[in-house]
Amino acid sequence: MGLTEVREKVEGVVGGVVSRVPDEGDFTSRLRSPAVAARVGLWLGISFGLCFVTGLVSHWAQSPDPWFAFPTRPVRLYQLTQGVHVIAGTAAVPLLLVKLWAVFPKLFSRPPKDLRLLLVETLERVSIAVLVAASIFQLASGISNSAQWYPWSFDFRGTHYALGWIAIGALAVHIAVKLPLIRDLLGTDIESGTHDRESMQGEPPLTRRGLVRGAFLASGVAVVATAGSTVPGLRTVSVFGVRDGNGPGGLPVNKSAKEADVVAAALSDGYRLRVVHDGTEMAFTRADLEQMRQRTHDLPLACVEGWSANATWTGVRLRDLLDAVGAPRGRDVNIESLQPAGSYRSTLLPHQFADDSLTLLALGLNGEQLALDHGYPCRLMAPNRPGVLQTKWVTKVEVLG
Amino acid sequence: MTGTITPSRPVRLVRLLVGALGLAAGLWGAWLMSDLGVDNLVASGTWLVGGVVLHDAVIGPVTIALAAVAVRLSRRSVPGPVIVGGIVLGSVTLAVVPVLGRFGAHADNPSLLPRDYVGGWLVFAGLTLTAVVVALLVGRRSAKDGEHGAGSGRR
Repeated sequence: MGLTEVREKVEGVVGGVVSRVPDEGDFTSRLRSPAVAARVGLWLGISFGLCFVTGLVSHWAQSPDPWFAFPTRPVRLYQLTQGVHVIAGTAAVPLLLVKLWAVFPKLFSRPPKDLRLLLVETLERVSIAVLVAASIFQLASGISNSAQWYPWSFDFRGTHYALGWIAIGALAVHIAVKLPLIRDLLGTDIESGTHDRESMQGEPPLTRRGLVRGAFLASGVAVVATAGSTVPGLRTVSVFGVRDGNGPGGLPVNKSAKEADVVAAALSDGYRLRVVHDGTEMAFTRADLEQMRQRTHDLPLACVEGWSANATWTGVRLRDLLDAVGAPRGRDVNIESLQPAGSYRSTLLPHQFADDSLTLLALGLNGEQLALDHGYPCRLMAPNRPGVLQTKWVTKVEVLG
Repeated sequence: MTGTITPSRPVRLVRLLVGALGLAAGLWGAWLMSDLGVDNLVASGTWLVGGVVLHDAVIGPVTIALAAVAVRLSRRSVPGPVIVGGIVLGSVTLAVVPVLGRFGAHADNPSLLPRDYVGGWLVFAGLTLTAVVVALLVGRRSAKDGEHGAGSGRR
């Protein structure tokens, strides 16, 4: 067999395979159009922007930064931003699916022969691949996290945060590349057909406007069916809400005492709350704490998973305990739980929270004794703070230098 | 397609700025990612690639197949309300897979995933189906009115 024959044979085989792979031109629906992609994409971009900004807020709230202190007011700020984070992410799922559906033919476009054009297209395809991969990852992992399902071995918080930057970066690059096209498409009527592929033919069963409205409808339904976890008015219709507002003392629980392995220690007669400052140490039983001046505040429990609920907390002002050991203001405090393990066993409470008049070591919830699953004998309850940092089963409060 | 548009100078400037910012944000994210270690990179990389494969090789083709079946069943073209109903039902179902399976449920925490989610899904599917049927009936009636009157029932 000569070289030419081999070459012809290889070309024949490659040509045969390539001809079987669908081409961009094989997609004939007028609905899979750039006009649809631009409109759905606009709202997808807005929801991604909301997710990114609120995600930064959540990261900031969880990573104490001495140069840029997280505020203690408004009391419900974190409840709002994290609720928006999960709602916007949920709303994005139908939008992303319709957007990907509309641009699916582009996946099969044949590469250009010209080397320069090929290079440009390859770069663009890489940026799109990064954007699509990061988008699917962020939505899938975020929604799983809100339902406390972790079928993976990566670190959720760190990875979700890093990929948030990658997703928003790839989105910005995508917008930059497509900006003239987007402007043109959004400025003309959706049904007009500018920028359509030549292969589009026939009358679609649904108008493009109808398809876009269908995507918005699906997005709205997804929100209404889940947002009851954080919007009390939607509880009855949120059939897919991860919480229904019920739980011990009228408040849902994130981690039970049994799961945290604290039952015996929390119920033990030997339980003491130790407050430590610079060589001074005081130990309090739960009865001692009950003897102190009690304060009652309405504070939301707002979890990183996006669910939240408002509750009335009664207990000792943390500042009163710090005063008892003579701790000056402006000091960060370390709060330690009875939990034997876990990354939130001990948390840093920045000074602005420690000194805040609303910050409590709560002993009661909604007029009842604090339930074991809510952190009995006592738990931290500070304004505008992620739920995961509202340490339960507190056993030690240490003033840092 | 883009070749037909010549961007004006301000648009070119905005593109350059947005693109550069995007690139910087992406690189910062990549640096954060590398900071989490090789094992984390492999574990998350599997999910990153898996998500794209799930969409491009499963969800995309399945949607095409479902559309083909719908076209075959309706003989001519699939009515608009059926398509919209499909979008709502399909995408919302995908968005709630984690709660439908109650995969994150804990026996000692009844306040987590407390609802009958499969029952809720059946109600949701039933309502969607009802809405589709109502829309079809209304569409048919207005099309009939259109035949008698001057206007057309087609939107």
